Amino acid sequence: MALNADDEILQDFMIEAGEILELLNEQLVDLERSPNDHDLLNAVFRGFHTIKGGAGFLGLDAMVTVCHLSEDVFNLLRNGEIQVTAQLMDTVLPVLDILNAQFAQLRAGEEPEPAQEYLLQELRVLAKPDAAQPAETSVEPQATVAAEIDVVAPSAAEPANIESSSAAVAGMVADDMGDITDEEFEALLDALESPSATQNASESVPTSTTSDDEITEEEFDALLDELHGEGKFTAPVTPETADTAADDIITEEEFDALLDELHGEGKFTTPTVENVAAESLTEANVSKETPQATEAPATAAVQADKPATAKSALTKTAGGGDTANQTETTVRVDTKRLDDIMNMVGELVLVRNRIATLAQGGDISQAREEMGKAVANLDVVTGDLQTSVMKTRMQPIKKVFGRFPRVVRDMSRGMKKEINLVMQGEETDLDKNLVEALADPMVHLVRNAVDHGIEMPDQREKAGKPRQGTLLLAAEQEGDHILLVIEDDGAGMDPEVLKRKAVEKGMMDAETAARLTDSEAFVLIFDAGFSTKTEISDVSGRGVGMDVVRTRISQLNGSVDIQSELGKGTRLSIKVPLTLAIMPTLMIKLREQTFALPLVSVNEIFHLDLTKTNVVDGQLVVMVRGKALPLYYLTRWMVDGCSGITLPESGHVVIVHVGTHLVGFVVDYLIGQEEVVIKPLGNLLYGTMGLAGATITGDGKIALILDVPGLMKSYGHRQA
Amino acid sequence: MPVRVLIVDDSGFFRRRLTEMLSADPRLEVVGTANDGAQAVEQTARLRPDVVTMDIEMPVMDGITATRRIMATTPTPVLMFSSLTTDGAKATLDALDAGAVDYLPKKFEDISRDQNEARRQLCERVYVIGSSKHATPSSHATTTTRPAAPTPPPTTASRQSAASRPLATAATRPVMPTATPPARRGQYRLVAIGTSTGGPVALQQVLSKLPADFPLPLILIQHMPGTFTPAFAQRLNQQCAIEVREAKNGDELKPGLALLAPGGMQMVLEQRGGRTTVNITESDPALHYKPSVDVTFSSVARIFPAQTLAIVLTGMGADGREGARLLKQGGSSIWAQDEATSVVYGMPAAIVDAGLADAVLPLPNIGMAIAQKT
Repeated sequence: MALNADDEILQDFMIEAGEILELLNEQLVDLERSPNDHDLLNAVFRGFHTIKGGAGFLGLDAMVTVCHLSEDVFNLLRNGEIQVTAQLMDTVLPVLDILNAQFAQLRAGEEPEPAQEYLLQELRVLAKPDAAQPAETSVEPQATVAAEIDVVAPSAAEPANIESSSAAVAGMVADDMGDITDEEFEALLDALESPSATQNASESVPTSTTSDDEITEEEFDALLDELHGEGKFTAPVTPETADTAADDIITEEEFDALLDELHGEGKFTTPTVENVAAESLTEANVSKETPQATEAPATAAVQADKPATAKSALTKTAGGGDTANQTETTVRVDTKRLDDIMNMVGELVLVRNRIATLAQGGDISQAREEMGKAVANLDVVTGDLQTSVMKTRMQPIKKVFGRFPRVVRDMSRGMKKEINLVMQGEETDLDKNLVEALADPMVHLVRNAVDHGIEMPDQREKAGKPRQGTLLLAAEQEGDHILLVIEDDGAGMDPEVLKRKAVEKGMMDAETAARLTDSEAFVLIFDAGFSTKTEISDVSGRGVGMDVVRTRISQLNGSVDIQSELGKGTRLSIKVPLTLAIMPTLMIKLREQTFALPLVSVNEIFHLDLTKTNVVDGQLVVMVRGKALPLYYLTRWMVDGCSGITLPESGHVVIVHVGTHLVGFVVDYLIGQEEVVIKPLGNLLYGTMGLAGATITGDGKIALILDVPGLMKSYGHRQA
Repeated sequence: MPVRVLIVDDSGFFRRRLTEMLSADPRLEVVGTANDGAQAVEQTARLRPDVVTMDIEMPVMDGITATRRIMATTPTPVLMFSSLTTDGAKATLDALDAGAVDYLPKKFEDISRDQNEARRQLCERVYVIGSSKHATPSSHATTTTRPAAPTPPPTTASRQSAASRPLATAATRPVMPTATPPARRGQYRLVAIGTSTGGPVALQQVLSKLPADFPLPLILIQHMPGTFTPAFAQRLNQQCAIEVREAKNGDELKPGLALLAPGGMQMVLEQRGGRTTVNITESDPALHYKPSVDVTFSSVARIFPAQTLAIVLTGMGADGREGARLLKQGGSSIWAQDEATSVVYGMPAAIVDAGLADAVLPLPNIGMAIAQKT
C-alpha cells in the first residue's frame, strides 16, 4: 500500500496514535512501579488495541503485528495470568521503541518496517504462558542481567552467537560447536580481541573442562559487540576489520561509535545484526538435540542480544529529539480557545472601523480625543489577542517530561542504581517551540544527573543516605518565564575539584581559578572540553555535551544556574521565557541605529564618566561597586566605520551578564523597555554571530536584536 | 427516514472513519458518537438511535457492560465491533449474551478484501439491523427466565394456512404453513439447524430447552468465523443439557450430541458402513458462507432425505433455502423462525417465501416443539 503522508486519514491516525504512544511511554514505566494496577494494565492494553485497530484499517501490517502481540501479552497480564516482571518490561519496552520507530517512518512517509523477528519471538513466548515456562527455567526470573549472562553465557549463548560471527571465527569454532567449555569461551574472547591470540585459543581448546565462569557483564558486552561487529563487517570490509582487530586496543568510544554505525546501517542493509541472531536462533532450534537444549540456546540468543538493543535504544532516545522537531506540525487547540480568539478578532474589526471613521475627518480636537479612546481599546484587544494566540501554542511540559521515566528507568537498570524519579508541575504550559527545543538539553541534564549525580546504592548507604536516590524534575511558571529544576540528592560537586580541573585543562590560570566563587566554579561544567570523569562512560559520552546544553538554553533566551553541596546533591535551575515569539527588550541607540538587547540578560544601567576607566591587561575595565567589569563600546562593534573612533567622555553603560560573567556595554542612547515581536533574519543575514533577529519599532523602522552570548563570542576576544 | 446510528468507540480515528463510511450511505444517518460505554448509555437514552455500533474495549465502561445497560434502560439494537481472534470470540459472545444483536470485524479487511465491498457490506448490515423492527433485543438470552417474547401476531401466512394446508410445490406461491408443526414423532433421525445473524442467542434458546436424553443427533450451522466456533460450542455446551461441541472431521452422529460446523470450513454428512459421520472440508472459495447451510443441508438430503427435521432460524440472506428445498423434496420437515422473533427475517423468510416451511414458529416455542415432536 502506497503511503501518502498528506493523506487526511493517515494524518488522523498519526495524531491519535502519536498521543497514545506518548501515553504508553509513561504508562509502561509507571507499570513497573505499580505492576498490579489493573486500570493501568487495561489502559496499556487498550492503547495497543487502538493503535492496532487504526493500523489495521490502514493496512499497516508491520504495526499491526507488533501491537497485536503486545496486546496479547497485556491481555494475559490484565487477566492475571502472568505477572509484570523486570524481564517482561525489558522485552516490552524495546517493543515500544520499535513501534515508535515505525511511527517515525510513517511520519516520514515511509512504509513501517516489520519488527525484528527475535523481538516478536520474545513477545510470542510471553503471550503463551505455557511456552514461556521452559524458557524461564533456564534463567532465574528475578536475577539481574549480569547473573543471567553468567548462567547462560558459558553453556548456551555460545553456540547461538558464534554462528553470527562465523565469518570471523568459523574455522576455529566449527570443530567444537557441539560442546564448548568455559575455558574455550574465555579463549574465544581473547581470540576475538586480537588475532594473534587465536593460536593460543585453539591450543587451549582441548584442555580441561573445569569452570572459571566469572565473566563480567562488560566483558560479555564487549564480546557480544565484537561478535556483532565482526559478523557484519567481515563480509564487505575485510581490510578494515583486520585493522581494527589488529589494533588490539579499541577504546570504548571508538567502539560505541562503531556500534552505533552498525546499528544505524542495520536499518538499510538486509543482513542486520538482529537477523543474524534470528537465523542462529532458528538454527539452534532446528538442531533439536533435546527439548531442553534447544530451548536454552533460543533464550540465550534472545537475551544475549539485549545489551546491544538497549544501547541502540539509548542512542535513539538521544538522537530522537531532532526528528520529532521536524515532523510535529500540528497542535491541538481547545475549541473554546478558538472561540475566544474569534471573539477578539471581532473586537479588533470593530476598533478598526472606529479608527477608519475617525480618520475620515470631522472636528480635529474632538477626533483626537476619540482617537485616543479607540487606540486604548485597540491596545486592550491586541494584548488579549496576543495572549490567547500564544496560549494556542502552549503545550504542557509533560511532552518533554514524559520521556524521562523511561530514560531514568533504562539507565538505572543498566547502571544498577536505584533511582526514584519525582516529577512536579508536568501540566505547566509553555510554547510549543520551547517544548521541542528543551527536549534534548533536558535529556542530557537528566542523564548526567543519573550518571554523575546519584551514587551507587552501596556508596549511598555508606554515606548514610537511603539506597534509593531521588531525582526531582519540576516545572513551574514564574511570572513571564518558566523555571525548570533538575535536582538530585547525589554526591554533589566539589568546587575545588572543578577549579583544579579547569587549571589542569589549561582553561584558566590558578589565580583566576582561585578567585572564582562556588557558583562560578559549578558553571565550569558547561564549558566545552570539561569533563571531570576521567573515563568517558557509555552514558554521558554521547549526544550533546554540556556546552551544547548551555548554548541551546541561551539561544532560547534562557539561563542556567547550578547549586551544589558536596555529599548532598545538585540542583540545576533553568529559566526560559514563556514564548520565543515575543520578547521584552531594552531598546538602545548606537549613532542613529536602534538595537534591542534582550531584557533577560540586562542587569543594570548607569551613567558613567568614561574618563574614570582603567586599562588592566590591555582590557578596558570599569569599577562597579568594587568589582572590575570589562567595558566594551558597542558602537565600535555594531556601527559601520566606527571601529576605531574616539568616544565621548561620558555615556550610558548597560551591564549585561553572559553566563555568570558581567560585562558593561557603552551605548549612545537609551530608549527604554519594549516588547518586541521577533522576526527571523533573512537568508543573507541568517546565522550572523551576535544577532538574534530583527523587529520593527513603533516608528516603523527596523531594529536588530542582539544576541549577547554570540556577541561576546565573536567580538569579546577576552572574557573577563 | 434514514436509519439513525450512534457510533461508540474510544478511538477518535475509528469514530471518524465509521462516521465517514456510514454517512456516505443515504439510508443511514450518524446522529451521534460516544467515547466510552457510559456515554453510550447516556447518548442512547437521549438520542434514541435505531442502531448502536459498539466497540468492546473502552475506558470508563466497556462495550459489554454498556450493552447490558442499554438493554435494561432503552433497548436498542447493538452491533458489536470486535476482533476476530480467539480472545475476541469470548468477548463477542459475552456481548451477544448481553443483548447485542450482531457483530462485525473491526478490521474491515476481514469483511472483504475489496475496500468498497467491505464498506457496502458494513452499511448494509447496519441498515438491516437498524431498520429491522424485531432486532430489538426481545431475544436477549442468557438462559435466565425473561418475559417470553410477545406472542407473535398471527401472520397472514398462518391465518390462511389454518384454512388450507396445500402441499408445497415449486410452482405455487408461498405455502401457508401452520404455527403448529405436524406431528411426525418417531420418524426423524436428525435435527439440522441453520442460522446466521442473531443465531448465537437463538440457538442457545432453542438448545437449552432440549433434555439431556434427547433421542436424536443434531447438527448446527451458524455463520461464524473459525476463531469463534470453538468458544461458541463450548459456551453452548455449558448452557445446555445436551452435549455440544465443535465438529471434527470424522465425528460420528450420536443421540443427544450437537455438532457445530467449524467456521471457515464446510461440513457435510457421510455414511460409511452404517455409521454416519461428519466430513469437514476446505471451503470452495466461490462459496460466500463458511460454513454454508445449503452445503450441509444438501448432504443431509442425500443421507436422510425424508427423516430430517431442518430448522432455519434468524439470519440475513437466503442461505439454507436451496438445501431445504432438496430436503423438502425428499420428504423431510422444514421449520422456520417467525418474523416477529427473528433478529433479521431473511433466511427464514426465504424458506417461507419459497413455500418450503411446514411450520413457522416463534423462537421461544421452537425448543419445546423439537422436544415434543421428535
